[in-house]
Amino acid sequence: MNGFKDSSLSHFKPIPVTAFTTINSCGLGNNALYQAMLNSQSGLGELTILDIPFTTPVGEIKNELPAIRPELVAYDSRNAKVALAALNFSEDGLRTAIEVAKSNYGSDRIGVVIGTSTSGLSETEIAYQVLLKQGKMPDDFHFLTRHAYQATPRSLQKELQLNGPCFAVSTACSSGAKAIAAGQRLINYDVCDAVLVGGVDTLCRLTLRGFNSLELVSSDLCHPMDKNRNGINIGEGAGLLLLQKPAIQYHHLPHVLSVGESSDAYHMSSPHPEGKGAVAAMSNAINLAGLKPDDVDYINLHATATLINDQVEAKAVYEVFNDSVPCSGSKGITGHTLGAAGAIEAIVALLALQHQMIPGTCGLQELDNNFDCHVIKNSLPDQTLQTVMSNSFGFGGNNACIIFSKGYE
Amino acid sequence: MNNHLTIKSVAICCSENNKLKDFGLKGIEVNKQLMPANLRRRASLTTKMAVTAATEACKQADANPANLPSVFASVGGEIQVTDALCLALSEHQAAISPTQFHNSVHNTTAGYWGILHQCYQATTAIAAVDDTFAMGLLEAWAQLQQQPGEILLVCYDELWPDYLAPPMGSYALASALVLSNTTTNKDLYTVTRPAITKNSLSISPTLNDFTQRSPAASVIPLLMAINNLDADTVIPLNVNQPQWSTQFGNTD
Repeated sequence: MNGFKDSSLSHFKPIPVTAFTTINSCGLGNNALYQAMLNSQSGLGELTILDIPFTTPVGEIKNELPAIRPELVAYDSRNAKVALAALNFSEDGLRTAIEVAKSNYGSDRIGVVIGTSTSGLSETEIAYQVLLKQGKMPDDFHFLTRHAYQATPRSLQKELQLNGPCFAVSTACSSGAKAIAAGQRLINYDVCDAVLVGGVDTLCRLTLRGFNSLELVSSDLCHPMDKNRNGINIGEGAGLLLLQKPAIQYHHLPHVLSVGESSDAYHMSSPHPEGKGAVAAMSNAINLAGLKPDDVDYINLHATATLINDQVEAKAVYEVFNDSVPCSGSKGITGHTLGAAGAIEAIVALLALQHQMIPGTCGLQELDNNFDCHVIKNSLPDQTLQTVMSNSFGFGGNNACIIFSKGYE
Repeated sequence: MNNHLTIKSVAICCSENNKLKDFGLKGIEVNKQLMPANLRRRASLTTKMAVTAATEACKQADANPANLPSVFASVGGEIQVTDALCLALSEHQAAISPTQFHNSVHNTTAGYWGILHQCYQATTAIAAVDDTFAMGLLEAWAQLQQQPGEILLVCYDELWPDYLAPPMGSYALASALVLSNTTTNKDLYTVTRPAITKNSLSISPTLNDFTQRSPAASVIPLLMAINNLDADTVIPLNVNQPQWSTQFGNTD
């Protein structure tokens, strides 16, 4: 089976994904996202939770979020609640799978690695308003447990009473994908038997107004890969996955084959014009997995819908794959969920594998005719997919590309 | 799998270099001229400190920065930039600086380092409160298992506004280590994969105070062991519980 052959890299092996789930503007759980993928149904709409001085559609979560337990009140933030909502969604069985892993391996052997770019920034922004008015932070301001990046993985670790390694990865829009890479390593090299990985980000003023001042935000619904694309719509959400050490009973489940990582070494907010870093990330992923480009059956693009990002990604994908691999972007459905995007889109790729379908590119009307890669506009059911890929590229020129494989029959 | 990493070089740069003397360590002064003007103008002090330590560590290890993957570990990252942005955001209509915005991400230092040295290798930016150095070393160890060779680990935190989490951020410190999992004769010191310590190790009140002020100071016991040639000792990597530690050794 592709990707399961012996690699020259010692101990580097495919790692099963034993449970996963998501919350985003399409709703709670994998099925809500799958239905949106199938029907190219956008979850983007009006911003209601914040007040900002311009108009842009956002991918805001509409579900009611659970309360944080009183013992963990210092961790209470929208980010922590979004993560908890996903964790507790019983239909996808994530929390149950973690509890089983905990009883099998012990809490010391289970890690938590979460990507985030915002963590509890939305709460910090409100605290700063108090600071300016009253000359001090509000009494319930808890910087390290709400605002700081590590607050999000720590809130999950405390909620689940786990004791293994726990840290945040924060590499802007590749955070969620890089967390999966770190989790795969912790299992591969026997630090952990299971790792809860993923990405969580929430809407806040800083990201909305910051991206707007970079002139990267669209005032309309975004159009990824479209000739008339004019910017991103920002979203929020969580994608959580449980990685476990390989075992026969997990052979039928999807596996993380590899995560290719690279740097652009070019600019803080603009991609390398020739897509050098993106090509390196995809090539590294393919090489680490022991595959050839032709083995990849579908690529979930980063496809943010900015002029330059989509152009560079299209060029990079063509350089590695020519026009042979169908690809599509999902940010027209969820918005760009920044630090969570790499994890939520990993789940898009996993759902494509699970349902043997290729999602369309929601928001794409007319493909940019400068693009030579094989972009899919409308979803295609009844496909045969063995190996899928998901791209994530972040500020600082930080790139990650994940490859998943379908499990054994 | 190779449980041991070789420490090829270390460097430390601190706002309180005189206080490092209490631990028998010598800090280097921040060198603001290591970056060309276009990068220097936009880089924060924390990035300049991290770049100073990283440059010195690479120099001592005789390592080309362009060839090294890297792990940047910090609790607050670009907290001064973020603080300025949060103050600006309090005004509904205030303009947000696009440069400050993209320089507020946690991987800003990692990004500048890559741009400075034309390094296309993988780089990551992590955070883990008191365990930040321990988790940075663990991630560096794991990356070297995946891709044998050398890696740069930089652990840093700058001066923070005093209303965020006092006393944290009252000292600024950046340390850098070049680590390898392929040993050569001239390499002297090794560390094992970080693990949770069963019996907690004693921490001096001076060190405890230092790490409360600067979590990146968790590197100090390891640097002291290198100075004192404390071979075969267990070195704490954080001061809190659960405690992470590494076995420090000598390759000879």
